[in-house]
Amino acid sequence: MVKLTGVLIGCGAIAREHLSVLAELDNVEIVAVCDISTARAEATAERFKIARSYTSHRDLLADLRPDLVHITTPPASHFPIARDCLTAGLNVFCEKPMTVRYSDFASLKQLARDKGVMLLENQQNRYHSSIQHIEQLIRSGQLGDVLEVQICLSLNIMSAQSAYVDRNAPHFGLALSGGVIGDFLPHIAYLVYMFTGKIIDVHTTWIKHKTDSPLPADEFRGLIKGERATAYVSFSGNAQPDGFLVRVVGTRMRVEANLYEPPRLIIKRARAGEPALMTLIDGIVESRQVLLGSVAGFMRKLGGTSSYDGLTEMISRTYRTIELHEPQPIPLNEIDVVAHLVDRLAATGNS
Amino acid sequence: MKVLVSGAGGFLGRSVVDCLLKRGHAVRAIVRPSSSKPPWPDTVEVFRADLRVQEDMVSAFDGVDAVLHLAAATSGNEDIQFATTVVATERFLEAMAKSTVKRLIHVSSLVVYDWSKADSCMDEKTPLENNPYAMGPYTIAKIWQERVVFRFAKMHSWDLTIARPGFIWGAGHEQIAGMGRQFGRIYLLFGPFTRLPLCYVDNCADCLVTAVENPAASGEIFNILDGDDIRVWRYVREYGRRKGQRGFLLPVPYRVGLGLAQLAALTSRRLFGSKGKLPSLLTPRRFVSQFKPICFSNQKLKRTLKWKPPLSFDECLKLSFQRQNDTRAIRVHRDDA
Repeated sequence: MVKLTGVLIGCGAIAREHLSVLAELDNVEIVAVCDISTARAEATAERFKIARSYTSHRDLLADLRPDLVHITTPPASHFPIARDCLTAGLNVFCEKPMTVRYSDFASLKQLARDKGVMLLENQQNRYHSSIQHIEQLIRSGQLGDVLEVQICLSLNIMSAQSAYVDRNAPHFGLALSGGVIGDFLPHIAYLVYMFTGKIIDVHTTWIKHKTDSPLPADEFRGLIKGERATAYVSFSGNAQPDGFLVRVVGTRMRVEANLYEPPRLIIKRARAGEPALMTLIDGIVESRQVLLGSVAGFMRKLGGTSSYDGLTEMISRTYRTIELHEPQPIPLNEIDVVAHLVDRLAATGNS
Repeated sequence: MKVLVSGAGGFLGRSVVDCLLKRGHAVRAIVRPSSSKPPWPDTVEVFRADLRVQEDMVSAFDGVDAVLHLAAATSGNEDIQFATTVVATERFLEAMAKSTVKRLIHVSSLVVYDWSKADSCMDEKTPLENNPYAMGPYTIAKIWQERVVFRFAKMHSWDLTIARPGFIWGAGHEQIAGMGRQFGRIYLLFGPFTRLPLCYVDNCADCLVTAVENPAASGEIFNILDGDDIRVWRYVREYGRRKGQRGFLLPVPYRVGLGLAQLAALTSRRLFGSKGKLPSLLTPRRFVSQFKPICFSNQKLKRTLKWKPPLSFDECLKLSFQRQNDTRAIRVHRDDA
């Protein structure tokens, strides 16, 4: 079997997640990795048994013509690297956020169209098992009409040991609108778009809870009006414990997931009957869902399943579409809408 | 001599600077920009830099006779440790390569050895770990850091000494990997009579400064340890007693602990294949590298550098816990004030 080939530029933490997924795909071979640190590039190549390593992406592009380039560098370097790859007529799978400025994304989009190649942003949570389950509940009509979605991300980025607030080596996220919170906005934005459809109105507020930190803000709230539903979104750098809560409220059902703890999903249905008895039944059902979901989640951890649930599906679909010469799994126009929403959410982030 | 010390603001770095000053050397100390300056005299030149990001470090090497490279991470995830230990070393040595300095003493660790291949005694001839990715982030980073150092030294014909200390301990850093694990009031000791490759921080600093001064250290690799006559049982007992932590010492024979780890690994493989993940205590290779009952030799150090640790274990204990009590007393005094 002739395998598809891929290369990966940027060998940090997220690159390991990509490579772990790629190691599982039978139809793909990663032929080279690249990082500005020689040691990091070589260590990654050695660990994942990859034949070649580079310290310049231009040297790599001069030597190889892979089917897909994974860009896993910090966001500020995405634009020049992606531009070089697209100019060379190569398909690009870029980590989020694809660019620091929307205008840069717009020019990459045009370049991808001109060259007739794929330009994808990693929107892995579209394929997260819990999100897929919620989508299935919507498609089947069990949830009813979607009225509201709440997406609340809490991550302890403010602890003294956190790389996000390291004053000695400023975090790459500080280059983004909204500071390091801007690094998480794409996840929030594409999930919102999935459930609300076309964005009509956006209101945001940014708060600096810890005044002595180097971050412009450590709390973010947003209210979004979409074509089909509304969304309340938040990011907290101080709330504990960590969680990525997605709550979808429908006319027949309410579903709650914590994307950090798949596959636990709590589903509450409207039940006819004696209210007190229904409360008891709801409690029993919820306990069962929590228990079974927690055990399954624990087994997933022991089994070495990546915490990046959804990345496997996103990457394998991408290669499948290349193999079958199909359109890219997430249309470029949708990536554009998401990039535009991120831009609007972040617009007030540095004020 | 004028010595440039990277990682000078760290636990070992502070002792090294003190020792260099005591022995009459001039010191340029690299300290991270946001760290407070340790209580050094004004004769110490402080060079503010974070090796991970500093653009221009070449001037740090101006007028320097030797470099003591201590900078490394001791905690954090794999990405953080690799960046702080390995990538920072690459950047630091790239700057050194642009200077005229040729003498480098690099502080590595015993973790670079393949403990499973140390038959009964670990010394400088013990094979190195060749599958670092089966180990923890610290081991991966230290192995790659050594590789980077060797590569630069060879490329630029530097006069290199590699020092591989054992468990460095001292005031505020008494908890060491070989102690076992504490669960509430229970101390689980794997192989209670296992020898510990202890290296008291001031002894380690003394040895490193000796390596700077002694030409016999050139081109050599040394394991640095005070000795290996202190056993786990005694260390943990002293630790608990002096820390005022009353606990119950539960000895677990090494073979039993390793057997449990092997059983866990087998079960994981059966259930999840090669992807299964277990904590380090239940990962046989990592268990071995923490608790294997072997002896540790510092004969080469004694023979080549004629070095012996200036402080005995009892003196180290006294100093270590005395300093802590003093610090506590100062804090109480300040609070009262």
